[in-house]
Amino acid sequence: MTALSIALIVVGLFFLAVAALGMVRLPDVYTRSHAVALTDSLGAFFLLAGLALNQGFSTNLVRILVVLALLYLLNPVISHATVRAALRAGVKPWGEDRR
Amino acid sequence: MNRRFDRYLVYKALTLFVIWLLLTASYTPAHMALGFVASFGVALLNTDAGRPPGVAIRWLQLLQFLPWLFGRILISGLHLSFLILHPKLPIAPALIRYRTKLSHEPGIVLLGSSITLTPGTVTAEAQSDELIVHAIDGESLDDLQSQRLESKVADVFRIRKSAE
Repeated sequence: MTALSIALIVVGLFFLAVAALGMVRLPDVYTRSHAVALTDSLGAFFLLAGLALNQGFSTNLVRILVVLALLYLLNPVISHATVRAALRAGVKPWGEDRR
Repeated sequence: MNRRFDRYLVYKALTLFVIWLLLTASYTPAHMALGFVASFGVALLNTDAGRPPGVAIRWLQLLQFLPWLFGRILISGLHLSFLILHPKLPIAPALIRYRTKLSHEPGIVLLGSSITLTPGTVTAEAQSDELIVHAIDGESLDDLQSQRLESKVADVFRIRKSAE
């Protein structure tokens, strides 16, 4: 049980690290928003799933599940708001000029 | 303020209060009262967004849709990780227009949110039946352009006969 929860946490940390690297390597706000999507939908998911497994049946387990559900509801809203604001402000996507 | 409006306000406030109760670590009367006031305050501030839609959710289909979506999120996440870790960073970002056949708001919201939740694609604009989607490369767009995602989203809703 502990081994499985450690494995899940490590997988979560892998996605979080890749997302952080993506924030640095990717060229503009649009592509970087994809890296942010990786943080919440997979990084936080595996990290919280590992923590939930570690807790067993308890109120903390319920709390972690609520946080997870809220993350999945809120992440698209925030990403969409950021990208829409960028588009409306006239930020040109990287790579558009090369086509 | 009509009665129907009041009913949805109460539902919304109670839902928020239940979330408060689940997340709080303290059940003293003072904290409970604070949570109660906060729940109703937030519900009151959001009265516009509470109108019931003319469509119903098919829960069984939703239960099938969510695991499928998570599988797609996992696959696109691995693909995006590969792109980010690749030394040459082989991305080919593009903005595309996508016209949806979904005619109701809840469907378009679920479609847009699913697109944004999936790593590699994000909904940049949604006006009536047209979505503007930014994708990091062509492969990320497969589910959208094959209309697989849209047909799965359409399955989740049933249009109520009584609605106009």
